[in-house]
Parts: sequence; structure tokens; C-alpha cells
Amino acid sequence: MGAQEAYLIPALPAAAFVVLLLFGKYLPRGGDFIAIAAIAGAFVLFFPVLADFLDKANGTDFVSAEKSWKWVQFDNFEIRLGFFVDQITIVMLAVVSFVALLVQVYSVAYMRGDPKYGWYFTCMSLFAASMLTLVLADNLLLLYAAWEGVGFCSFLLIGFWWERRSAAEAAKKAFITTRIGDVGFLIGILLLWREAGTFDITEIFDFAERGGFRDADIGGLGLSGNAYLTIAVLFLFAGAVGKSGQFPLHVWLPDAMEGPTPVSALIHAATMVVAGVYMVARMFPLFVLADDIALDVVAALGLITVLMSATMGLVETDIKRVIAYSTLNSLGLMFVALGSGSVTAAMLYLFVHGFFKALLFLASGSVIHATEKQDIRELGGLAAKMPVTAAVFGIGTLAMIGVIPLSGFWAKDEVLHAVDQHRSVVLYMLALISVFVTALYMTRLFVRTFLFEARDRVAWGHSHDAEPLMTLPLVLLAVLTAVGGFVVFGFVGEALGFPGGFGKFVFFEDPEPFDFAWDVAIFSTALAVGGIVTGWYFWSEKAEPARRAGEALQPAYETLRNRYYIDDAYQWVIDRVVLTLGTIVAWFDRNIVNDTAVDGSAGLGLFAGFELKFLETGKLPNYALAIVAGVIGLAVLLLVLRL
Amino acid sequence: MGGVLFALIAIPVCTAVVIMAVPSRYPQLVRYISLLSAGAQFVLSIIVFFAYEFQGSRGLRFGFRVDWLENVGFLGKHGISLHLAVDGIAAPLVMLTGLVIFAAVFVSWNISYRNKDFFVLLFLLVAGVFGVFESQDLFFLFFWYEVAVLPMYLLIAVWGASSNFGTFVRTKEYGAMKLVLYLVAGSVLIFVGIFATFVEADRGTFDLPVLGQVQYDSGFQKAVFPFYMIGFGVLAGMWPFHTWSPDGHVAAPTGVSMLHAGVLMKLGAFGILRVGMTLLPAGAEFWAPVLMTLGVIGALYGAVSALAQTDLKYMVGYSSVSHMGYVLMGLATMNDIGVNGAVLQMFAHGAMTALMFTNVGAVYDQAHTRDMTIFGGIAKKMPRHSAFWAIAGLSSLGLPGLAGFVAEFHIFVGTFQAGYYWAGAAGILAAAITATYILRMLARAYFGPLNEQWENLKEMRLGEQFAAALLIAFLLFMGLWPTPFIDRISDSVRNIPGITS
Amino acid sequence: MIPINNFLVLSSILFSLGIYGVLARRNAVLILMSVELMLQAVSINFIAFAVYLSPQAFTGLIFAVFVITIAAAEVGLALAIILRLYRNKSTANVDEADMMKW
Repeated sequence: MGAQEAYLIPALPAAAFVVLLLFGKYLPRGGDFIAIAAIAGAFVLFFPVLADFLDKANGTDFVSAEKSWKWVQFDNFEIRLGFFVDQITIVMLAVVSFVALLVQVYSVAYMRGDPKYGWYFTCMSLFAASMLTLVLADNLLLLYAAWEGVGFCSFLLIGFWWERRSAAEAAKKAFITTRIGDVGFLIGILLLWREAGTFDITEIFDFAERGGFRDADIGGLGLSGNAYLTIAVLFLFAGAVGKSGQFPLHVWLPDAMEGPTPVSALIHAATMVVAGVYMVARMFPLFVLADDIALDVVAALGLITVLMSATMGLVETDIKRVIAYSTLNSLGLMFVALGSGSVTAAMLYLFVHGFFKALLFLASGSVIHATEKQDIRELGGLAAKMPVTAAVFGIGTLAMIGVIPLSGFWAKDEVLHAVDQHRSVVLYMLALISVFVTALYMTRLFVRTFLFEARDRVAWGHSHDAEPLMTLPLVLLAVLTAVGGFVVFGFVGEALGFPGGFGKFVFFEDPEPFDFAWDVAIFSTALAVGGIVTGWYFWSEKAEPARRAGEALQPAYETLRNRYYIDDAYQWVIDRVVLTLGTIVAWFDRNIVNDTAVDGSAGLGLFAGFELKFLETGKLPNYALAIVAGVIGLAVLLLVLRL
Repeated sequence: MGGVLFALIAIPVCTAVVIMAVPSRYPQLVRYISLLSAGAQFVLSIIVFFAYEFQGSRGLRFGFRVDWLENVGFLGKHGISLHLAVDGIAAPLVMLTGLVIFAAVFVSWNISYRNKDFFVLLFLLVAGVFGVFESQDLFFLFFWYEVAVLPMYLLIAVWGASSNFGTFVRTKEYGAMKLVLYLVAGSVLIFVGIFATFVEADRGTFDLPVLGQVQYDSGFQKAVFPFYMIGFGVLAGMWPFHTWSPDGHVAAPTGVSMLHAGVLMKLGAFGILRVGMTLLPAGAEFWAPVLMTLGVIGALYGAVSALAQTDLKYMVGYSSVSHMGYVLMGLATMNDIGVNGAVLQMFAHGAMTALMFTNVGAVYDQAHTRDMTIFGGIAKKMPRHSAFWAIAGLSSLGLPGLAGFVAEFHIFVGTFQAGYYWAGAAGILAAAITATYILRMLARAYFGPLNEQWENLKEMRLGEQFAAALLIAFLLFMGLWPTPFIDRISDSVRNIPGITS
Repeated sequence: MIPINNFLVLSSILFSLGIYGVLARRNAVLILMSVELMLQAVSINFIAFAVYLSPQAFTGLIFAVFVITIAAAEVGLALAIILRLYRNKSTANVDEADMMKW
């Protein structure tokens, strides 16, 4: 089996989904073993694909394996759906299949006893199938289909406990918010198709490189140069903004924590939310060919997201929501990397982020499982009761902060390096500031959850490390979090059979061999350590300094607690503008279009009939007079016409 | 094979006659006869679809002709004849009709008040619908069109429901009267158009293929096309002539709503395509921007209106206006991708909206209200019902893998291809608004904590579940593997003059 | 030979009397009689023109016979209606025969 058969990877979970959907009820244990076997099979199948791909890659050049089928064809309109494998796909496949496997194993214990246990695994299988299709798709249409598919699974799983009002609302919010981005995504796809005449990604690249998009115009707007392509890629990017929770469509991700924690780990940290990053990386040649403004927008929105989410993380008290903000933070960094022109840095961050963020979520899941609390104001001191969880959570925290030599450090270093090289110093400074803030709130999270005295003694009393089925994935992820970053080194890559370090495997146009920039490393490490120390000062023991700081900076604290009032603003727009518009249109339809125009014309007929009936007197002589008058009138008319 | 088409009209007519003969003390017998007949129609319509041979020579299949008036007075050869045939556009719609009537019989199973008369009228209506899709003769097309419209009056006025919405009241008589008057007004315009075309062609025949070979004067085409566009457009729910549709739905019983939104509204769009665009391509070309504008307004306006509705049937009714707006957009693109999309959307919307009405009916039968604000968490009591609702809604908002996506996608591609960027963008936006109102409804009525008031709700009846599952099967069929549809549709869309590829 | 004008004048006078009767009278029987007058005026015209214009053909004369026949039938029908009216309303005044109004 070679890379040609990569389509079997998503086919396995898809088959599991169908089986579970139809027969899940009749299977023992809700059929969880089928879901896990399928995703394990997908993970196993990844290796022959990888080996085959590397053979080709080492032999000549990077060869993309392709396979496609005709889906729709008439006249000269043809849509082929197909799969292809390249370096970005390989990275994504590794993250998705591995994390999905671990999360599902973890879920067996975490979800045990839930009345909808079987349904959970059904949804997870569908998600795995969609996500794997998304990363393998060779054309924008299949990509879009899978994109919507993962969004739908996210909707199902956020709303998994839909009996809770908040979960139902969060699911709705997530779907609609991402859908708004998808409006742009689909428009972008259609704009690309309009000129290139194909949905195939490589063909669109060829077309773009031949200058096919130059001087294209949209309906007489008078565009010239690369304006058309720029508009198209910005529309594409709107999809990424929605899916990857970038400002201003980031509001759904914190709410998405209403779902079960393993779902947050898989979908809202490691895989689905990075689909936007993946898509931009996949379409990167177009972003480069477009005017500079395209990548400027990517970098700017990424940076805004980073700063906003990091500051919001400082005051959030829900353990999962803090991690959700850290996810937004990481996603923003990936977009900053892309906006700075470095696919390598973005993909490296995506790769390691998959591990450490899944680790953080799953570990927080263990905490929630054990204490049934998720507000850090009620936690504390858990390290004594849950040493393994605390240890792995600590590793994840340090990786997120970017402490050498954990994986997060290398990835963040690459991102900062890219910003330093390709972007203005202001952006670089802002990115460095975000490192400090990240260290601050991640320290706070760890300290408040695991160290010092417990604030809820009862919950603390019955908490303990989870069973091996849950701990094993944690430990595996912790190991990868610790060592995953070493893939940047050439010798590690070569030892694993790759052509070299990460930068020699995943890159845009030219390989980016690992280049350790001492200045960047020193700055970022200093800021990270500074952040940890400051965080410790603020939040150790009774967290008195933090409380005082919060009181001193009351307006800022309130703004952060209210998430910059963005959610409120959206809610206001929806309630006051959108729904009002709907009410006005409905009113207009009922009262103007229907009651006035339609019933009005009917009423006019009725009224005319009522008035005209008085012409009918019922008196015979009147009729006779009318007849005579008519005859005389006609006769006169005849005479006049004759004359 | 021509007999199949004739049988598809004859079976419902005969069923109506047979049911009339059954004594009314045997309501169960009436139901089984109806089921048998609807099943036969379903099977035959599937045969028509799959036996339609789309390769090789293009054009009409399964021709069947009985001359009625020939060489009399102003009529020449084949003056007025019952000429039946389907092309690739009609074949899926014939299958849709068979599917929806089959489902509607299951849904209407429990009608006990004068159920005999109900099924008689229902089958007459269906005969008319089959007749319109199959007719290749303008006179009979018009005849069947009227046959399909008029039973609606009684079906709504007798078996419908009046509703009091607090600020206003909609009686079933009002809904029925408005619907029929509106549609008859539309058919007056069609009538004028048909006779103008007949006289202008001067071939002494109403036969569509013959009339289609005539080159009409372009001034004539521009003058007459609006008659077809608005006349049929009324039935297609074209903005601003759409208000009969939501009010009609609110008043109509479930089975009738299914046929009404599922197939009857398609007659309008089908008429524009089959008569207007086929006979008068230059007129269509001239009026396409207007049609596009009305389609886009309908799509957005329907979606925004649906956002503000609290009554489930009003919501579905306005969503129909919105989705028929897509169909008109697809037709107005005047290129094969868009027109393909329009026909796909007719099928997709037909199956989807029938499913939605099945669901509304199932919950209304038990709760006796359709106000979504007073429900809450009833997914706990009716899990399958909720799943069916969700699938219908997802198809409606264009989730890939379901029929709605395939259709809408073609329409959007078509609009971009034709250079109507603003229209395509507005259509995509309308799909996002659709997502909003569908999910709002689901979150409000079906999810969240269970409202204690609905403790006694039970899962929908098995027959309804079967109907819903059948409709979903077709939604999935078209969503995952649209090739059989597209092969047939595109084969015939190419034959329409004035359609660019 | 009597000049044709005499016939025409006679028929005009008869016709005018008939119209006056129909318009002015309220009694249904009298209205009916006035209608008969008008019909006979027409018959005179037919016969006069027939004799003066085409003495060989009988068209006009035949028409006159038709008019007489139709007048007879009409009288029969109208009298029946008037009788019913009288039975129901105890009057033959047409002003009171407005049951079908509106």
C-alpha cells in the first residue's frame, strides 16, 4: 500500500460511523470498540503512506500522490473529488490520527456511564472521517464539504449534552459563527473557480502562476493587477477566521467548552480549529501571489487574536475556558507566522500544539472528572492528590509558555524568528509581549489548580489520579510534548527517515533549515521566565497581589472579564439589529405585502362591486330607459360616423 | 414505455373514482386503497426516472399521444392531443411527485373526518401534477395545471386549521381562498401567454415540440415572456407574489402542505423553464436580470422573514419562499450549470420541505400548537423526530452530503459563471441566514431542558417515521451521488435554446 | 300606389307609442302590450320594404310571419310570468317586482 491509497485512511472511520449509526444500539458497549479500531486502523495506515511518501521524497523531489474520481460532469463542467498527499498533509495526518486515537481511548473511561455513550463514539467517528478527508482533499470543493462536515460534528459534540440550555446555545453559536466565515470561504472558492475554471488546488496554483488571475475583474468594478486574486484570498481567509476562531469571529470557541472535555481536546484544540491554519498554508501560493495586503491582514488579525485572548485568559476562572483562550492564543500565533511568510513555523507550531494542547485539555478533563469542579477558584492543591495529572499538566503548561527544551519553545522560537525577519519591529515587540502574558496566565492556571491549599476541601478530598486508560494517553502526550520539538533538528529528521529537519520537509518554495537565533531565544526565554516569576508572585498562596491588582485596575479588569464586550456587542447586534430586521420584514410582509397589497386589491374589488350594485335599481322602466337611450346613442353615433 | 406515463395520470384518477365508490363506513379500506395506489405511483415514477435513457440521442422519452381535436376549425395536425413524454428535467420531478404522494399518504393516515373525500381530492391533485410534468401539449399542460390547483381549495378549506396569532387571525377559508384566487390569477396570465404563442406560431397546434421549432419575433418574445414568468412565477412563490404560500401552509393539513410545497410550487418553476424559456429564449434572455433580482430578493427576504417567525409552519413556509428564490436564480443564470442547479434544487427542496412538514405535522398532532417558543427540550421525548428535523434543516442550510448543498452549489456556481457576483454572494448569505433560523428553532424548541408541559409527548407514528426515512434516503442519495440526477437533467438542459454552457 | 313614406310614418308612430308605453307604464300587462306594438311596427316596415324593394322575393313577408310567431310565443311566456307575479305579490306593478335585486 502506498500513498495512492491514502483515501483508505478516512474511509475507515467513515465506515465505523455508518455501522455505529445503523447498529450502534444493538452492539455491546455502544460499539466503542469499532470506533477505536477504525481510528487505530487509520493511524496504522498512516505509516505505509508516510513510508511511501518519504521514498518518493528522498528519491527525487517531493512528489504528491494523487487519486481522484469524477463526481459531477456535464458539458465542460467537471468536478473531480480526489485525495492527494504532500508534506502539509503528512503533518496533519500525523496529528489528527494520533491525537484522535488517544482521545478516543481516553474517552472510553471519561464518558463511561453516559446515557449517550454510543452516540458519542458515532459522532467522533464522523468527525475523524471528515477531518481526515479535509486534510487529504485535493480540491476546494471536497475541502469545503469536509470543512462543513467537521463544523457539523463540532456542533453535535458541543451540543452533546443538549439538555443543558447553555450547551444548546453554545452549539448554535459555534455553528452560526463559523458559518458566517464560511460564507466568505465559499465566495472565495467560487471567485477562484470563476477564473481558473477548476476546483483542483494544484491546477489553481498553476493557473495563478501563469498569471491567470491578472487583471481579472468582478462585474465591472474595474479591478486590475492582482486585485481580483487578493479579494479572492481574503474571502478564503474569512473561512479560516471563522473556523480557527480569529478576531472578530473568535467568540464561539470559549463557549464551545460546553462539550465533553475530550471533545475540546480533539476538536477545539488539536484538529478542527487548526483547519483554518491548514487551509491558509495549503493555499499559501495564492496568498503570496496576491497583493501584500492579504498577508498583512492575516498577520494583523492573528496578532490581535493573540493579544486579546492572552489578556482575557488572565481573568478567566473556568479551567477549560482558560485553555480555550490559550488555544486562541496559539492559533493567532500560527496566523502571525503565516502572515510573516513562514509556512514552516506555522506548521511546526500546529504540529506540537496538537500534542501539548490536547494534553492540557485531557489533563484538565482528569481534574474535572475527579473533582467535578471546573472553576479554579474552587480548586487548588491538587498536586498532592493527583501527582501524575499535575506533572503532565505542568509539562503542558511549560510547553505552552515556551520553556526550553520543550516542544513549545522550538515552535514559538520559529514563529518569533519569522516575525523578526519579515515583519516590522512593532509586530515583533507585540509578539514578545504576548509571550510574557502567556506565561503569566498559564502560570496562574497551574498554580491556582494544583498548588497551595485546596479551596474546596470536599472535592479535594475525593480527588485522585484517573485510571490507567485515561492516564496512559496523558503520559504519551506528555512525552511527545517534551520531545516533539526536536524534529527541528536535521539529525533527528534524518534519523526518522525524513530528508532533514522540519524546515527541510515542510516549507514554501525554499527549504528553511533550522537556524537558531540566539537573540530571539534569549528574549523569549527571558520573557517567559519573567512571566512565570511574575505569575508566581501574583497568584501564589492567597493570591493577594492579584486581588489588589484587580482592584487597582478595576475598569481593565471588568473589560477583560466581559471579554472586551465583544460577545455583548454581537448579542446586541443579533437581538437589536438582525432580529429587528427580521421582525420588520415579517411585519412588512404581513401588513404591507399581504394585508395592504393583496387583501387590499381584493377589498378594492369587493368595494367596487358594492358601490356599483346600486346601479341595478331593480326597476324595469329604468332598464328599459337605459336600453332606449343606448339604442338612440348608438344610432346617433352611427350617423355621426357616417357623416 | 409511454404507457407508464399514461398510467401515472390514470392511476390517481382511477383511484379517486374507486374511492368514491367505497362506502364511507369503511375508512380503513379507503386508506389501504390509497396506500396501494400511492405505492404503485411511487414505483412507476422510480421506473420512469431510472429507465430514462440519457445517452445517445437527446430529447423526449416514453412518448405517448392520443389526439383529441385534430383538423377541426383552426386546429391542424395534432391540434390538441394528450401528448405525454418526459425529458431529463421532468423525470426527476416525476419521481419527486411519486415520492411525496407516497409519503403524504402515510402522513395523512389518521385523517378521520371525511377521509374518503380527502383522498379523492388528494389523488385528483396528484393526477394534475403528474399531468403538468408529463404534458407536451400546451393545452393539456394548462388543463392539468388547473386540475392540480383547484382541489387545494377544498383540501384546505375543509381539512385545514384556522389559527389565531394574537395580533392577527388566519382562518382556513382565508388561506384557501387566497391561495386559489392567486393561482388562478396566475393561470389567467399563462392562458393569455399560451394563446398569444399559439396565434403567433400559426401552426394550428398546441404541441410543444412543434411550437418549440418556431422562430418567434424577438419583440413578441419580450412582450409575452413576462406573462409566463409572472403567471408561473406566482405558483413558484416568486417575490412579491408569494404571500399565498406561507398563509396557505399555515392553513393546510400536513399531507396537503407536503404536496403543496413539495411539488406544487415546483410546477411554477417547471412551467417557466418548460414553456417560457424553451419557447421564448430571447424573451428569457431579456428578462433574466429581472428574474434574477426577484429570485435574490425572494431568497433573502424569505430567509429574513423566517428568522422572525415563531410558528413552525410559517417558518417552513417562508423558507420555501427563500428556497424557491434559489430556483429562480438558477433559471435566471441562463447557463447550464445554473439551470441544472435550479432543477436539482426543485428536487432537493421538494423532498426536504416535505420532510419538514411531516415533522411539523407530527408534533402538531400531539401538542396542538406550532409555537416554537412554548416548546423546549422535546428532543428528549421525540429523539427520532428531532433527528429528522435536524436532517431536514441541515439539508436546507446546505450541509455537504445532503441534497440541498449539491443544488445550491450548482446555482451559486451558475450565478458566478453568468457574472452575477452580487447575486451569488447574496445567495450564499441567505444560506447563512437559513442556518441561523433553523438552528434557533432547534435550540429553542428541541434542545435545552425539557419543558414539563410536554412530559406526555410520544415519538412520532411509525408511518410518519417511515415517510421521513424515505425522504431522507432521497436527500442522501442526491447529496452523496448526484450523478444520476445530473446526467438526466443536463442531457435535457442542453436542448433548451438560449442556454449557454 | 300608396307612397312608402306613409307606411314608414305609421310604423314610426306605432314604434314610438310602444316605447312610450314601455317606459311610462308600470303595469306589466300594459308594458307587454307596448312591446307588441313595437313588434308590429317592425312588421309593417318589413312588409312595406318587401313590397317596394323586391316584389319578387318573399323574404320580408316571411320575416313578418316570424315576428308574429315569436310575438305569440313571447306573449304566452310573459303572461305566464306576469300571472305568477300577480299570484305572489297580488300586483302586476313592475316596480314592486324587485325580489332579485342585490
